Amino acid sequence: MSNVVMLTRIRLARNLRKYPFPCRLNTDGKNKVVETVVGAIKNSNSPLADDFDVLYVKDLSEAQRISLVEAHLASPEFISDSAGRAIVLSKDREMSIMINEEDHIRLQILKKGFDLEGAYDVADKLDTLLDENLDFAFDEKLGYLTQCPTNLGTGMRASVMLHLPALQKSRAVSRIAGNLQKLGLTIRGTYGEGSEPEGAMYQLSNQVTLGISEKAAIDNLKNITTQLVNQELSAQKRIAESVRTQDKVLRSLGILRSAKLISCDEAMTLLSNVRFGINAGLLEDIDINTIDKLIFDIQPATMIVNKQESLTAEQRDILRAEYIGKVLKK
Amino acid sequence: MKCQKCGKNNADTHIKRVINGAFEEYHLCSECAREMGYSNVFEGFSHSFADDFNSLFGSFFENALPARTQATRCETCGAGYNDITRTGMMGCADCYKVFADQIMPTVRRVHGNTTHCGKNSAAAKKQAAEPKKEETVSELDKLKAELNKAIENQEFERAAELRDKIREQEGQ
Repeated sequence: MSNVVMLTRIRLARNLRKYPFPCRLNTDGKNKVVETVVGAIKNSNSPLADDFDVLYVKDLSEAQRISLVEAHLASPEFISDSAGRAIVLSKDREMSIMINEEDHIRLQILKKGFDLEGAYDVADKLDTLLDENLDFAFDEKLGYLTQCPTNLGTGMRASVMLHLPALQKSRAVSRIAGNLQKLGLTIRGTYGEGSEPEGAMYQLSNQVTLGISEKAAIDNLKNITTQLVNQELSAQKRIAESVRTQDKVLRSLGILRSAKLISCDEAMTLLSNVRFGINAGLLEDIDINTIDKLIFDIQPATMIVNKQESLTAEQRDILRAEYIGKVLKK
Repeated sequence: MKCQKCGKNNADTHIKRVINGAFEEYHLCSECAREMGYSNVFEGFSHSFADDFNSLFGSFFENALPARTQATRCETCGAGYNDITRTGMMGCADCYKVFADQIMPTVRRVHGNTTHCGKNSAAAKKQAAEPKKEETVSELDKLKAELNKAIENQEFERAAELRDKIREQEGQ
């Protein structure tokens, strides 16, 4: 189960009653919000209180900003503007708080594998502790008040990142996507664009936040995820029997082990094939966690940040091939 | 602004994303956005926001009834109703009260619902400790909800009646 679900994420949108929403705040106002929120975290009795980093977007290089998006810690919207924006991160990066993105606070819990309840539990506790020190904008009828009315109510987006190579191959994802909308959920590619995202990785999340409790939204997402995972697993079983599929998996591993140059797109596709091979029982001596770590580490900006120097596209492709080859060597 | 993909339709969807280590920003029409996998509730929202305002409130209140005193500006943050329809963003927490009549039909359509259910902030618990104040507020809310319903059902006479009642209450 956890092999199809790669990541679980809970995000809560909160705003301080005292300040206008970020779209009507100037930089001074935004800086005050950052100060207030960071102060509240320090004074909170939460696990985040003693052990966190605050990164101000204005102090970060372009690569550092983008790598935050690649690591699923910040949104593209967040790094599109640096004025009065900061992100608070726990040392293990499981907890993060974007300050002054679309809302004053976007609190996120990111967990490996499939653990919606566990992630919500952590988010809920952190939110309650912050609420003691910050006066959140809340209305009895509309719930948490958010800058965009699409987040009203619980302000919660729960999502799972799914690896669906077999459903993508059988072109079932777009058919499923239409039905999901009726169930209040939405699915889209994690990397790349269009109907066939890079590496067959998809994000499934709840759409409706008003009139449905956190628990009900999570149960709904959990049920649908479980069904999707089962569909994916039976499709995987079916296609794994074909010699063409087996050939593709083994060739993919061969290229990853011996290439001298490899782009991010190509590496993602091949890693996805290998990941599928492990899941379907075609490859036995590779740990799936190794593949998952590679998928995050080889993202372009993350590579630059880890190397701590600027790299051209070709230098990146050489470095990426070297790195993958080393990790996957027999 | 025209859509950056097809160059024909007007762009109404603003997309920010990271692809292959680079940050990109696009203005697309809803059709191209959908093709690229960006169809979501948000895009439909800004769209329907404008639709609602023009077709429902615009024609109904301006033509069918004498001009209704509707809030045009939020005193707390300075946001005008125009700012909200243009951006799809509320200016502050008080905007939800000031522009309640205008935005509730859209909220209902987006969420299929207008009443929160779930976690209650500490502030709400404090409010709940003052039941008297809450009662008056909820009665007014009830009237406003009825007004919205009447508008949706195109019961214009009933809507005018309710509007006067709301004015009376708000004036108290």
